[in-house]
Amino acid sequence: MTELYPSMPGRLSRRSALRSAGGGALLLGFGLAGCRSAVSETGSAGQEGSAGPRRGGTVSVAINSDFTPSLLFAQSSQSYQHRLIYNTLTRYDDRLTPHPELATSWDYAADGRSITLRLRSDVTFHDGRPFTADDVIFAVKNLQNPARAAQLRSTAAVITGFDKRGDHELVLRLAHRVNNLFDLFEFMIITDRNSVEEALKGTRLNGTGPFKLTKWSPGSGLSFVRNDAYWLKDRPYLDAVEFRVVSQADALVSSLRTGQSQLSFQVPGRNLAVLKDHPDLTITPYDTGAGATYLGVNTTIAPLNDRTVRQALAYAVDRDRLLAQSLGGYGLASAAPWPKSSPAFTETGRTHYTHDPANARQLLKSAGHTRLDLPLLHLALPGDTAVAESLQYDLKQAGVHVTLQPTDPATAQKNLISQKMPALWTMSHGFAQVQPSTLAVSAYPFNEARNTSKFHSAEYTRVVQQAWTSPATGAAAGRLRQEISDILLDEAFIIDLVIRGNVQIAARRLHGVTLNKFSYLDLDHAYLAG
Amino acid sequence: MTATAPLPATGKRPRTAPRHPYRAALASARGRTGLVLVALVVLAGLLAPLLAGHSPTDQSSQSLAPLGTPGHPLGTDDLGRDLLARLLYGTRADLGIIVLSVPLGALLGCLFALLAAVHPVLDTAVQRLFDLVLAFPGLILALAVTAILGPGRLPVVLVIALAEIPAFGRLLRGGILVEREREYATAARVGGSSRIRVLTRHILPNAADPLVVQIAVSLTVAVFVEGAMSFLGVGVRPPQPTLGSVLSQSVPYLSDAPHFAAGPLITVTALVLGLSLIAEALNREIRR
Amino acid sequence: MRGHVLRRLPSALLILFVASLVIFAVLRLVPGDPATSLAGPDAGPETVAAIRERLGLDDSLPSQYLHWIGGLLTGDLGPSYAIGGQSADLISDGLGATVELTAAALLFVIALGTAFGVLGATARRGWVRAAVRALTTGALAVPPFVTGVLLVLLFAVLLKVLPPGGHVSLLTAPDLAVQYLLLPALCLALPSAAVLGRYLKDGIERALAEDYVRTATAAGVHPRRLLWRHALPNALPPAVTLLGMQTGHLLGGAVLVEAIFAWPGLGQLAEQALTRRDYPVVQDLLLLLVTVFVVVQLITDLVYAWLDPRIRWE
Repeated sequence: MTELYPSMPGRLSRRSALRSAGGGALLLGFGLAGCRSAVSETGSAGQEGSAGPRRGGTVSVAINSDFTPSLLFAQSSQSYQHRLIYNTLTRYDDRLTPHPELATSWDYAADGRSITLRLRSDVTFHDGRPFTADDVIFAVKNLQNPARAAQLRSTAAVITGFDKRGDHELVLRLAHRVNNLFDLFEFMIITDRNSVEEALKGTRLNGTGPFKLTKWSPGSGLSFVRNDAYWLKDRPYLDAVEFRVVSQADALVSSLRTGQSQLSFQVPGRNLAVLKDHPDLTITPYDTGAGATYLGVNTTIAPLNDRTVRQALAYAVDRDRLLAQSLGGYGLASAAPWPKSSPAFTETGRTHYTHDPANARQLLKSAGHTRLDLPLLHLALPGDTAVAESLQYDLKQAGVHVTLQPTDPATAQKNLISQKMPALWTMSHGFAQVQPSTLAVSAYPFNEARNTSKFHSAEYTRVVQQAWTSPATGAAAGRLRQEISDILLDEAFIIDLVIRGNVQIAARRLHGVTLNKFSYLDLDHAYLAG
Repeated sequence: MTATAPLPATGKRPRTAPRHPYRAALASARGRTGLVLVALVVLAGLLAPLLAGHSPTDQSSQSLAPLGTPGHPLGTDDLGRDLLARLLYGTRADLGIIVLSVPLGALLGCLFALLAAVHPVLDTAVQRLFDLVLAFPGLILALAVTAILGPGRLPVVLVIALAEIPAFGRLLRGGILVEREREYATAARVGGSSRIRVLTRHILPNAADPLVVQIAVSLTVAVFVEGAMSFLGVGVRPPQPTLGSVLSQSVPYLSDAPHFAAGPLITVTALVLGLSLIAEALNREIRR
Repeated sequence: MRGHVLRRLPSALLILFVASLVIFAVLRLVPGDPATSLAGPDAGPETVAAIRERLGLDDSLPSQYLHWIGGLLTGDLGPSYAIGGQSADLISDGLGATVELTAAALLFVIALGTAFGVLGATARRGWVRAAVRALTTGALAVPPFVTGVLLVLLFAVLLKVLPPGGHVSLLTAPDLAVQYLLLPALCLALPSAAVLGRYLKDGIERALAEDYVRTATAAGVHPRRLLWRHALPNALPPAVTLLGMQTGHLLGGAVLVEAIFAWPGLGQLAEQALTRRDYPVVQDLLLLLVTVFVVVQLITDLVYAWLDPRIRWE
């Protein structure tokens, strides 16, 4: 028999006495007095002692949607487990400089047409099999398979030849120079090539990462235990990690407030206010801009085929109010897609369009319109509805009367993929947080070849291809990035509104949590302080 | 059913002349209170355009203003919309929905019940039909219907009506079964009255009693279904307010801005309380 | 009575058949499909086409229907399209959690409903009746999703005596499981308990006003005996019908309550499966619910007949 409230130490205030009395009475009523309390069962810490890193403990992570094994190789809303089970070749820092993970060092050929990777030799998969260059070759070929729906497939497809030099050195030959190869290395998880079909069904996920998946209960969560043979010595600190699916935002907030979960990245902005002043929680916004809320425009529907009309829309929306009221103030109001950490970020780009209803009306007038009536599709989820309502009001002030079309996510997805969006829609996009060229070759809304806006321009295609295939640094790279930004802003087929980074809510005693650029959760160095 | 019968425990003044039980019910203290409550809510809805100083969809930068803010007596919501206007127009929208959907459901339910009373085979068929409707989780049905029809008032009305059909149908059917076996019905049958006549003249009026209670209950259930659908994002098309949508928008702010939820909660309570008081009063009088 | 059950079997099978057609058709009418849902937001048409083919979505509708029914008859429900795992496993996991929740809620409904009904009809003190009325009105007037959030705020956030949500199986740790169960079950039960309470109250009041009861009172029979032996039994039959229907409401209402309390039951599963267009899971699940419901109705009817001897089945 354990104590009823082990989480509440010696000092018994009147309030906690009342609580205990209330709780005791309640439990007594059900014949449970003296039994374990479910409230204090979660988030057990390691051994007691001073501050600083320590071994042991379990961290419970609240996620709002379950892991989808079939999307294991695609960027989806839930990729947090990827870096627990698996590793990637390299890992970016905040300035997009790659650092070693499974690859220890690399050399580009002078012409940029091949790269030599040296790999760690002390890495084994969870089943004990050693990691070799063949696993990297498999990982690349796997992403080239269209069925994997990997957003970075175009980059993987550039790798056309593999020269093995022993088990731990590999030369990748490229069809042409690309500047986002390390985006691929940040994105591509190294999975066991023998069990990939099982991995896609979620029955066996065998990786080299710091934690082993012990159980996946579809719809309710994932359980991980420490990988004792992890290649990083004496890591991880934690014994176990639990992912709990809590789909409803308010339930997610409650779970964090009560200490049932110690970590989440998926509290909607407007629910964050309640957590701001919580003594046991810290809120850490990431600047990486993993997602951005945008207003999409179907450029084949008159009068939106007129660029002036699209620009009017871009002036009509009040990004600052949207950010403050619908997104809880977490994010960056911006007309361009780039977060502050992106090499393409410029303040002039960010403020290219600011709230100016008079100008919007003027532009519409110059295009021959005083009133427009258009539909706007949005996801039928509370946060998305608030964004749509806000946009609707702003557009109305400029004479654009919008009818909202709340749509369930599956239908919206189908419309998105099959290019059947109505005149306007609002959603979010990713991929602006890495090499700018990746946005234009990998993020569907911006894809030069085929996008939902049905926007085509020879100029855009030329600039994107040129930016993608030239070196990532230097004056030319800067000029090309600027050209992409200019086209995006000028053509306004995707009107960016607010760049949202991940917002991490963690228990105060949880330290050392990081995310990579694709929101893979890295708990290598995470620990629970006493 | 005679005026001379002893009165129930509470003891009211004895009636001198037989009055229509509905009028008597509405004249009782209970009935009057209920009537006043419902009338207040209905008036608020009907007069929304006159009473609201703002449009329910006009936004401002002043979000979550507290009670008593100049110009916004009930404060504002997260998007800076006037909560009084949203409450009034939301009430109006809800009334429009429940006034349409509940009678529709009741009518269909009763028709099915009457159909069932005709022949045992039909009875079985109708019973199974009710089972079928009841077996589908209502909100899953709501998600499917809205996905097919698109958002708006129509799917909400249809879902509520559909959900109410078995409630009314089964109640009436159960009532008919019981009343049919009572002495007076048997007597009437033995006395040579036709089956239809016994049903419509004798059984129905008596079996209909529980339906009166059910109407009140259903009206409140309808308010909830509307709210639950809003909560799941398949309610009336935003930004039009309903009591349910305002309430579900207020949920993230329950602890920080409780006044956001208070308006619709009080209105729903008044409506539900009023309806149930009227139902009780009616029930008492009918039973005499 | 056995004859009665036998007589109803063909119609029960018929309803299952009709239900399976309705479910199948409704799902195909809902826009969006599992392939796009599976493919992810950035998949190209060739990816979607490949998935469609793998899932057999290009087959004709009758052949898809037969494939489903064939699987059901041979006991092989097949894999889930979108959620992952086997449809049968998902459903049996969810079913366990939902049965726990619904059973607990049903207990609350019966206990609270009877208390509300009996007290509301017979309590001598006016304030007790007023309190019962206030409680039932409150339970009916506040939507369950608000009750749920308020319960969590009170018991989990402020008092910290119960967990805000989640689920522990009754089989693995019953003492913890009960604590996880209390709030969602109460939240789910309250409106139905209030409805049942009102019905019982009406029924008891009506029965107490009947001639034979008045005669008995005049003859000096103890009021309590009258209540328990006469009034309550007379009020029960309609209440049982109602309870049968409320069971349906409980299963249906579980969608919301399970979402609020992160309860991994069938409601959550149904919503998830429908949102992701996981055809096999939605189909199997809804058909299961219809089956359960048909059985519950059969039982309700039998209990009804047993309680009310005035009803004869000829």
